[in-house]
Amino acid sequence: MRAMILRVLMVIVPLILPALLLALPQGEYQLDVAMTVLLYVALGVGLNVTVGLAGLLDLGYIAFFGLGAYATAILMHGGPAQAEALGGWTYWMAVPAAVAVAGFAGLLIGLPTLRLRGDYLAIVTLAFGQIAKLTENNWDALTNGPQGMEVAKPVLFGFELRAGWQLYYILLLFVWIILWSVRNVNKSSVGRAWVAIREDEIAAASSGVNVPRTKLLAFVMGAAIAGLVGSFFAVKQGFVSPPSFDFIETVTILAMVVLGGIGSLPGVVLGAAMLAALPELLRSLPDMLGLGGQFDVTPYRMLLYGTAMVLMMAWRPEGLLPDAHRRAELHPDASGEAPDGSGEVRA
Amino acid sequence: MEGELLAQQVLNGLTIGSMYALIALGYTMVYGILQLINFAHGEVFMVGSFAGLGVLLLVERIAPGAGLVPALILALLAAMAAAALLGMLVERLAYRPLRHSPRLSLLITALGLSIILQNLVMLLVGTEDRAYPDRFTEALQEGFDVGAVHVAWQQLLTLGVALAFMGALTWMVRRTRLGKAMRATAEDPITAGLMGIEADRIVALTFAMGSALAAVGGVLFGLNYSINFFIGTQAGLKAFIAAVLGGIGSLPGAVVGGLLLGLIEALGAGYVSGTWKDVFAFVILAVVLVFRPAGLLGRPVVEKV
Amino acid sequence: MNRLLHAALLVGLSGVMAWPVEAAASWKLGVAAPLTGPLAKMGADIRQGVQVAVDEVNAAGGIRGQKVALVIEDDKGDPREGMVVASKLVQSGVLGVVGHLNSGISIPASKEVYAPASVAMVTPASTNPQLTERGLKNVFRTIGRDDQQGKDAADYVLGRGIRKVAVLDNKNAYGQGLADVFRRTFVRGGGTIILSDSVTSGDKDFTPILTRIKAKQPELLFFGGEYQDAGLLAKQARRVGIRFPLMGGDGILDGTFVTLAGLKAAEGTLATGPGGTSQKGFNVVYSKRFGEPGAYSAYSYDAAHVLMAAMGRAGKPDRKAVLAAVATTRNHPGVTGRITFNAKGDQPNFKFSVWTVADGQFRLVQ
Repeated sequence: MRAMILRVLMVIVPLILPALLLALPQGEYQLDVAMTVLLYVALGVGLNVTVGLAGLLDLGYIAFFGLGAYATAILMHGGPAQAEALGGWTYWMAVPAAVAVAGFAGLLIGLPTLRLRGDYLAIVTLAFGQIAKLTENNWDALTNGPQGMEVAKPVLFGFELRAGWQLYYILLLFVWIILWSVRNVNKSSVGRAWVAIREDEIAAASSGVNVPRTKLLAFVMGAAIAGLVGSFFAVKQGFVSPPSFDFIETVTILAMVVLGGIGSLPGVVLGAAMLAALPELLRSLPDMLGLGGQFDVTPYRMLLYGTAMVLMMAWRPEGLLPDAHRRAELHPDASGEAPDGSGEVRA
Repeated sequence: MEGELLAQQVLNGLTIGSMYALIALGYTMVYGILQLINFAHGEVFMVGSFAGLGVLLLVERIAPGAGLVPALILALLAAMAAAALLGMLVERLAYRPLRHSPRLSLLITALGLSIILQNLVMLLVGTEDRAYPDRFTEALQEGFDVGAVHVAWQQLLTLGVALAFMGALTWMVRRTRLGKAMRATAEDPITAGLMGIEADRIVALTFAMGSALAAVGGVLFGLNYSINFFIGTQAGLKAFIAAVLGGIGSLPGAVVGGLLLGLIEALGAGYVSGTWKDVFAFVILAVVLVFRPAGLLGRPVVEKV
Repeated sequence: MNRLLHAALLVGLSGVMAWPVEAAASWKLGVAAPLTGPLAKMGADIRQGVQVAVDEVNAAGGIRGQKVALVIEDDKGDPREGMVVASKLVQSGVLGVVGHLNSGISIPASKEVYAPASVAMVTPASTNPQLTERGLKNVFRTIGRDDQQGKDAADYVLGRGIRKVAVLDNKNAYGQGLADVFRRTFVRGGGTIILSDSVTSGDKDFTPILTRIKAKQPELLFFGGEYQDAGLLAKQARRVGIRFPLMGGDGILDGTFVTLAGLKAAEGTLATGPGGTSQKGFNVVYSKRFGEPGAYSAYSYDAAHVLMAAMGRAGKPDRKAVLAAVATTRNHPGVTGRITFNAKGDQPNFKFSVWTVADGQFRLVQ
């Protein structure tokens, strides 16, 4: 009964959030912040699939986000030199294409590199992230280079969707699609295979798990999710340019996943919500405390991310809202129940 | 004419490459012993360069007429000391407690540390680019011509100092007991322990030495270019690519990788395109890792079951 | 339990963020600039320029007896951050905004955030021509455009009899835009570009490309970009044995250029930028509080005064009225020159002057 109520709440609250927020002072801005939080939640969930569920440290994650955004921008608008040839798609047609582009990129990157050890994978993905950003910046004919590209708003049944709350619901829909897919895949045999790989890759392989293919699936899925979110970002912002897709973003998302709980879906949502809302909170803090607009909190925010990462790894690596299985994995000597025999990960 | 152009580009490449090599050595040393990529290493390099700046500024303040060479040596030593301490601190506080944690935890810790260091420095020195005092760098910009090739003292100095330190490290590792202990620990920590080598001490020393070398690179970097709190990430990534290129875990590999990367960048920018210079480096990395993950001089890693 | 916690947290956090306190209504002026990040110094120049202007007005009694309140936001030089702070500024009730610095932020923010709210945006630093070519009524700039600046630079170079140049840019929106205009104008004027390439902003080692340029023996190197890269370019140019001068745009017009390049290498460098000896008075006042003015301090000062004058003319704290008043700015006596906005929001008569480094300082040439 309680679970039912909670579940209903989980659905209702995000649904009525725009109404709640717009009633507050500075409502549009609050809604904007809520969308930013949701965006990071979605990205966190995506990265969690790659890092948390399959144990692959992807440091170039933001590049898939960028690819989705640019794919959307180009398909809807047409690159500067190919105005008619490529462009002119509607948003709803561009979205699946963007997801496919990002997923395909994940496939391309993943295929040759997933057999490498963890550290190497981290660096290769980091390098890929940099290459993607450099290419976006330098390939003027396709992406308009550093000048960036404008993106039109989505059109539905003849109506242009530019109001905050309209965009919010599109994002909410995407987030639900993402959560639903991740949960389902996680519950399936693929999810169990991920757990097996995380615990002991060689044992998993010996038990018949196709390790490379399973890893690849996680990688591609994470990439596709990022692509979907990126496609939303393009229309929300109305503009895409290379500086938005920086390594620092991957770090931010990773911090969220780490804080909330690697491998734990509610944990990631919590971590993302906390860390995404934080800058806005800090932005308001000087006002709240009566300090002038001169006080800058950014370096402290980054310090907080870094410290959070270090502390969490040292003290509670399973995160703030871990799932039981993961906690047992990381504290094998702690007393308490053994991991769930069926291997099911509570998602 | 063409040959001279090439010669000058080679000189350019070797100059930056030698700085990469110095940093790469630190990465490779730590990896050799702990199988860990020390993400914070790039920040140690950055701190080293700022330490050097600080010393030179101090010298300007209290002894304005001091000689170039003594001042630079002082800056170098101070930077090395500061970096060594920082490196050991990082190891002791962050890595040692996690010695038996999963790989992912270590990587994330390293990343977190890197961010902490970066932002601490940013809070201290601000975001502006800083240059080493003119007086020290001015004279070094002069040079001499060998045909159409202009060789600046700066470049010779950088190359010379870098090679000297690399040589010193190689000598130390090959010829001294300490070096032998380090190699033993890298090879097989348990057996080394049975032989009376204290792994913890060796690890701390490894971090100290790697960091000191990075600091040398940092000071040279400051003399050649400008510095800000962000150079650690940039140079760190390049140096890491260099280490992987040469074969991570192999000291000569780090040197070769660093110099080679510098050359590739210089020749790429000089002959193909300045715009895509960085992409060359990353593509090389990808290619190497896919086709020869052990790098040029490394030994293939066998995963123990 | 966990889910409840998570839902509660989300709602709770939103609630806390609703806290921002509204100051008592007065004339609110917004400033949006990169106060942190690599452009922090330029962002500080902007904030400080506006601060000087606002303090002047308030010291004289404010506008119609009411003080001007400054609302400052940091866009970090990042487009996404910029959109968020633009939204926040609009929400906090500002009547106009001085900002942003990056054209990459000014362009989307002006259209997506400020225009729907009828908030006038006067930028002291965004030089991308596209900003004012979209037919928006709320966009103005106290600085010139890059198509003007690049042209003025090329004309100057051609006027000196130079016909062979090399052109570099740092591949960001400003540098590339400026360099491209220079390239076009220079070639159309009969010059030859013997080498054209880009470098990556933030990169430190330019010796390979400089060596390549040196081999081609141009008479001048034009660089589109900011002073951080330009300083290193100048320094390394000398290191590889280059003897011809470097020229840049207003982005390099900062004392730090000389520091980074070194006195010897900086000597003789050319740059386009604002003119006007009327800057002297401003320089004195500004220097007392904040030290040497930077590239955009004066433009920001003027932008702030333009907005505040418009507020005075409008008579009431109403955005549409203020916006209309800004559009009618005619011959406003700014320290960067007399300011008049045309229908696009540009200053039609803006002409860039040429500066050069002499004895370690940038000085006006013409």
